[in-house]
Amino acid sequence: MRKTFFFALLTIIFPAALHAQAFNSLLGDESVFIAQTKQVNQFFRRFNGEESTRGDRFYSGDKDFRSPDLRQRYLHVLFDYQNSSITDPLKDAFIRDVLNTESPVFLNFHGGQWFAEVTTRFLYQGKDEELTLFLKLEQENLGHKWVISNVYFRHFQLLFSMNTETGSHFLHPLSHELDFMNLVRVFKDKDYVELYTEKEYLPDYLTLFLYEFKKGNLKFRTVSRVKFHFFQVPGWYFELSEFNRPGGNSGWLISGLLKINEEQKNILLKYIYHE
Amino acid sequence: MTRILSIAAALIIAFSANLAAQDDISPSRKQAIDSLALEKVRDLSKYISIVGNKDTPWSEANRVIERTLELFADGALMGVSSINREDVNYYGIREYLERLMALNYDKVTISWYNIQYISDLERQPDGRYVGVITIFQRFEGTTKEGLRYVDVTKKDVTVYVERKTTQISGRIIGFWDVLLGDIRVTETKPG
Repeated sequence: MRKTFFFALLTIIFPAALHAQAFNSLLGDESVFIAQTKQVNQFFRRFNGEESTRGDRFYSGDKDFRSPDLRQRYLHVLFDYQNSSITDPLKDAFIRDVLNTESPVFLNFHGGQWFAEVTTRFLYQGKDEELTLFLKLEQENLGHKWVISNVYFRHFQLLFSMNTETGSHFLHPLSHELDFMNLVRVFKDKDYVELYTEKEYLPDYLTLFLYEFKKGNLKFRTVSRVKFHFFQVPGWYFELSEFNRPGGNSGWLISGLLKINEEQKNILLKYIYHE
Repeated sequence: MTRILSIAAALIIAFSANLAAQDDISPSRKQAIDSLALEKVRDLSKYISIVGNKDTPWSEANRVIERTLELFADGALMGVSSINREDVNYYGIREYLERLMALNYDKVTISWYNIQYISDLERQPDGRYVGVITIFQRFEGTTKEGLRYVDVTKKDVTVYVERKTTQISGRIIGFWDVLLGDIRVTETKPG
């Protein structure tokens, strides 16, 4: 099916490619660039059926705008073909849900329920280290902007014990009568200090990140990788990654797909955030 | 000449617009802005080809660099990565062009694929609109010894679109101005 569509796509774009060749016959096969999903924006358009196979933008009111037939064909080619964990039955079930005739699902750029995971490199204590930033879109005035919502940094996590068993590490309930003189015991050992915090306490890695950056302990070097996590299709999660490789099955493609319920979604979010 | 055409195109967009402050971009207005933005990107492509060409005299290349910088918003950067190194290296536009001019090849040919992708325009908190135009470039450099280096790069060019006003014969005319911003350069594997 996907091969048929890819050939159909190439057949449709062939006149455009021929036209291009007339200008630059030495440049080789341009049809690959036409087939490639070149921007995340184009992924949205193709997913929603808002672009012709020639690459022209469809607007509301155009005959084929969000046409189920066009979407059916596009959706099949928006997956990473080399990922064997995305099986055909799983993919078909996802596409069936997306194209549900009663309530088809469209991706909405401003609809929330999707965010970016950006792998960066920082210098930390003189060493080149990987640090992950999570960003989401936020409205401000009449426009939008990407904002940092969370951070994962291995060194921050190592600082905080996951141990919640207090054992002998607590301030007894009459400590106040002694003017909390026993605080001296709390601050004797770095490894157990968080056991003296309230049970709702969670370390705020974003604040820690900003603190270390402002103190000059973290220095930005570069961006290494970007991917996106989508929860906009009810009952489903998918990951979007960029594939820089030969052929039409390249650019921004679905690189992970899971059928999930609400409880599994929360577990998955914790996994993504390394919580 | 290109500059005159750009101004004319901007004013055509302006005159076709409602004179009242019109901040929303309709599909037809979007298409007109796309054409203007694409024209600036084509100017950029042409200037890069001239600067990279070893037959271009040094003084002419420098003049073209100045013209290229006029296309950009202040502080725009080129973020460059390659197939073997996914980390991004950052260069100012002038620095990028001067590096291109100084490349140690005897012959350089830069050509552009007739493919482009123009994103939707999104509004920023400061009221300006931003879009991204993707283009593809083929670079071929040959050394004196005949060694040939070829790469194909994808260039994602940021485009800022801003509503401005100007006074013509005492009348206030609104128009959409386009400036280029950061450019992400990725080496591709077209196959």
